[in-house]
Amino acid sequence: MKFLCVPCDEPMKIQETKGPEEGSLTVIFGCPVCSRQVALLTNPIETQIVRSLDVKIGGQQAPSDPMGFVRSTLASIREEVPSADRPTATESGCPFTSVANAAFERQTPSHGAIWTEEAAQRLNNIPSFVRSWAQKGIEKYAEEKGYQKITAEVMDEARARFGI
Amino acid sequence: MKKYRDIAGDAGSNLLGQVSTQQERLRARMAKIRFKVAVLSGKGGVGKSVIVANLAAAFSQRGMQVGVLDADINGPSQAKMLGVRGQRLEFQAEGMKPARGPLGMRVVSMDLFLPTDETPVLWSGPTEGEGYFWRGAMEVTTLREFLADTDWGELDLLLLDLPPGTDRIPNLLSLLPELHGVIIVTLPSEISQLIVGKSVTVAKEIMKAPVLGIIENMAAHLCSRCGAEEPLFTGNDSRRMAERLSVPFLGRVPFDPMLTQSADDGTPVLLSYPTAPASRALSQIAAKVGEALRLPPAWLDAKEIR
Repeated sequence: MKFLCVPCDEPMKIQETKGPEEGSLTVIFGCPVCSRQVALLTNPIETQIVRSLDVKIGGQQAPSDPMGFVRSTLASIREEVPSADRPTATESGCPFTSVANAAFERQTPSHGAIWTEEAAQRLNNIPSFVRSWAQKGIEKYAEEKGYQKITAEVMDEARARFGI
Repeated sequence: MKKYRDIAGDAGSNLLGQVSTQQERLRARMAKIRFKVAVLSGKGGVGKSVIVANLAAAFSQRGMQVGVLDADINGPSQAKMLGVRGQRLEFQAEGMKPARGPLGMRVVSMDLFLPTDETPVLWSGPTEGEGYFWRGAMEVTTLREFLADTDWGELDLLLLDLPPGTDRIPNLLSLLPELHGVIIVTLPSEISQLIVGKSVTVAKEIMKAPVLGIIENMAAHLCSRCGAEEPLFTGNDSRRMAERLSVPFLGRVPFDPMLTQSADDGTPVLLSYPTAPASRALSQIAAKVGEALRLPPAWLDAKEIR
């Protein structure tokens, strides 16, 4: 995909990328001649398609971690598998940095989150193979909203937000 | 006004450059592996993965350094069959260390990343509901990463256990154009052979990949009392099908409960019951595969076929 500044007949250049935020990537293009700017806003499916190719809009500055794509995109993964953007003890000085689309990356569980008994019970009712994924999503939502406790109501809000 | 092809580059992302870097990384890794062979089937449930595990054992017995890549991302089974489930994955700057299976085989499977037996492969993304747009690309990228980011070291042979389906060969060849061969596993049933014919056409005619041959699995049942062979299926002879398709026939593997029992126990039957009829058949098939690959005679003769 390329953008052309029609008045200048000049290809536009990427100036900035933001996100993904709520599944949307913002890419700002500018005309090098007249400085006119346009923003490309992707929908979640478009973002995911780009992500599935393991490339970064705006350019990748450094190679990704080994298995960075798998480690950052699997919804449920063994606890002992280190996150792609976090070096292990044996990797001190590792030159690799995090892979593209950090906002989609696997979230470290918020161990400080407090779950009410009712909410914890509801969490336990979620099938085991997606429970960890759901837990992380709800805890992230609660953290964003500044909630101190995760209640059944917070779970409902998160569900409505995620559309599940 | 300029058109698409009048404009060089892509505004700064250099996506082609990023893909080129990925491919270079893959090429560098694969350059250390002498032979890469894919094993596939037309239909599922033909016992392809068991064949892969035992071929790996047969070549390892001959002193070769063997790797097994479980390319069945959604239905991984090699970690179980080669007894490496639960092994801790190590990530270092030079890549992920593969799990170590019997006779030092190096094994990579999606199963090694999943937390529980019941966990399916789900990707964190918008919603699984729209997954049909992007799931295929996620799987190919995963396969590319398994190949390129695993620190396989120097290998004589890498066996790729592909999931069922005729579309898998083009996907794999887009990543590994230097593939040395394709082995196709079938049953002596008309339905299985019907799909195998399509796989051979895709591999041989469309993708121009070398087909090393066809293996017929579950060829017969051996009576546990008298040893008499009884057919399990009433379909066509796979040897004739191979002749019709002009591809080599590598051999038949009889149905043997020990074969599946050994797979469940995490040890190829060729190692746990080396004198079983299935083990003898698998060892002979491995020798034929070696001949098809034109392996150095010293490798083929390193251990006598039992």
